[in-house]
Amino acid sequence: MKRFTITTLILVLVFLSILMFYEPNNVLQEATNRYNAFFAPRILYWGTQGQDVKNVQWQLVKWKYLIGRVDGIYGADTYRAVRRFQAKNGLRVDGVVGPQTAAALGITLTGAAPASAQGINRRGDEYLLARTIHGEARGEPYIGKVAVGAVVLNRVRSPKFPNTVAGVVYQPLAFTAVADGQINLTPDKDSIKAARDALNGWDPTYGCLYYWNPATATSRWIWSRKVTLKIGKHWFGL
Amino acid sequence: MDRNRRWWIAPSILGLALIIALVWGYNEYTTKNELGVALENHYQRLFFDVKKHVENVQVNLSKAMLSKSRDQNVLLLSQIMNEAYFAQDKLGQMPITHAETAKTEKFLNQVADYSYYLIQTHLQGKPISNEQMASLANLQQNSATFNEELAKLQSELSDRNFLFGSLNARQNKKVQEGNEKVFQTSLTNIEKNMAKTPELIYDGPFADQMINRKPLGLENRSVSKNEAQKIAVEFFGANRVQDVTSFEEGKDSSEIRIPSYTFNLHPKNTSKELAVYMGVSKKGGHVLWMANPRPVPKGNLSIKDAQEKALNYLRQKGFENMEPNYYLRYDGTVLFNFVYKEQNVTIYPDLIKVKVALDNGEIVGFDASAYYLNHHNRKIEEPKITLEEARKEVRTDFDINSSRLALIPKGKNEVLCYEFKGSYKGADYIVYINALTGNEEQILQIIKNENGTLTF
Repeated sequence: MKRFTITTLILVLVFLSILMFYEPNNVLQEATNRYNAFFAPRILYWGTQGQDVKNVQWQLVKWKYLIGRVDGIYGADTYRAVRRFQAKNGLRVDGVVGPQTAAALGITLTGAAPASAQGINRRGDEYLLARTIHGEARGEPYIGKVAVGAVVLNRVRSPKFPNTVAGVVYQPLAFTAVADGQINLTPDKDSIKAARDALNGWDPTYGCLYYWNPATATSRWIWSRKVTLKIGKHWFGL
Repeated sequence: MDRNRRWWIAPSILGLALIIALVWGYNEYTTKNELGVALENHYQRLFFDVKKHVENVQVNLSKAMLSKSRDQNVLLLSQIMNEAYFAQDKLGQMPITHAETAKTEKFLNQVADYSYYLIQTHLQGKPISNEQMASLANLQQNSATFNEELAKLQSELSDRNFLFGSLNARQNKKVQEGNEKVFQTSLTNIEKNMAKTPELIYDGPFADQMINRKPLGLENRSVSKNEAQKIAVEFFGANRVQDVTSFEEGKDSSEIRIPSYTFNLHPKNTSKELAVYMGVSKKGGHVLWMANPRPVPKGNLSIKDAQEKALNYLRQKGFENMEPNYYLRYDGTVLFNFVYKEQNVTIYPDLIKVKVALDNGEIVGFDASAYYLNHHNRKIEEPKITLEEARKEVRTDFDINSSRLALIPKGKNEVLCYEFKGSYKGADYIVYINALTGNEEQILQIIKNENGTLTF
């Protein structure tokens, strides 16, 4: 009986210590996958042309997957060579060069941007906004998500708030989802779509700067705002 | 015998567990302290920086008022702009609620914005007017009181060895309350003082006149909620709507930029969660925006066909003379920017966005709020310089693909410009040359990729 207790105790201890130090690797992996799926720069497939294709072919020729010319056209030969490469390297065999295959090939995919235009895009803001929406308005109707994104962008334009998306999102004590780390969850498809709509100008709040959930709002000050519209569970105000 | 030999096993395992727990706990404790100190150091730095930046704003403002030289003034004003933005940025990072800093942040942003406006005035060769001098004096006075309050706060906080971390940490209750009081009183004082700032009259993105702009494109006729609902249903297609509900409005709903009714339309033959959302203006009864967030499967409609559908849609809704400009493809849809064209002049402020689903060509998004905000009967001036003369104002090695006349927004005004699209060193740009004065008004960089075009 005693031996049983002791063994159980040890097992429990071991289990607890494993739990304490165990970090799920696949969560991170999944996050990158999703980020790439929605924000990835470029994918090469049958029919694509250009310098990127040339780089891929060059690498495939060097590693003897492809016997042929480096012509910058993603044709049947390249397709088959990519498939062989993917099969050999444990990647998904689909004949498409996405971010992972590209990484395995040692290539970064870029558009053919000139030096002065390299790296200029909206992806950072898009992703950050999507994460904020996901953290703050999961379970809200779609338009409630766009509205939360629009409030963030209205704040960026307002003199009363910081002047960048990150400045507004990470302003201390501004968003509960930022304070409790929910902002770091991987955004779902709806949040990404809502973020894009908000960035493209849709504003269901007509310029509002605040929103709060009457059931959970703790600050009395927020009720002194001008109340304008209720979308889902949130009240919006100026 | 057996029992005697093994009596120590249980206690030693428990003892071991205790030691492990203690080591782990100590580790956690030190990590927590290190993080706390790092955060505290960061906050302290921010506070001292804010103080310094505000001081610089104050000093430079007094210098700018004294200085008679235009060049010196431009340099001083650009420094003021920088320092004010720095102060604002750092203030926004401190662990203070928005309620306590909103007016102060606004003050700093407007100081920066106003300085930028004055730099422009200087560069155009106009003298600083008496009113502008008075505004500067006012801003100087305000930043001085602000700085004084910060100085007081600084010495008081140093005296009490105040830690910003204690503003949200569970510390000794009494000490915390005392500190918080000092801090809050000071912030309240500053905020009260900032509230007294008179409205600055100028043209810039953070100007009050810009923020409180009223829509120009709406008739004065008021529309009842029932009428608006009818308009919304008609707009979507009466035969496609199952039922309509409206969003609840608050008591200040008339204070938003374009007062509107917002509706939730349920199309026939779709699941309950999928709705179409629409906003109808209370004045004039126009549909301002529409969003139909239905998932769009991969389609094979071409961009050209989609554009044709969007144009037809606009014509059908009564918008004539709309010209497609840029498009952006995302989430199975393509978004077109249409701008109004009058007498061969492209009028950028009158912007309508139309989103087309690439699976069946349905219009799944519409946004005309910019159009109704800006559209009015304009008297477009005749250009005073010719296209050739304007071309001379652009770098000769700028490789121009197309040129035309366009009206672009500038603050709350609109300026008539020659628009030159082209490329320079491999990258694409648009250059705007004022058609009346020949000034270079704006340069936009264009980023094109396979999904469309963005301007920066």
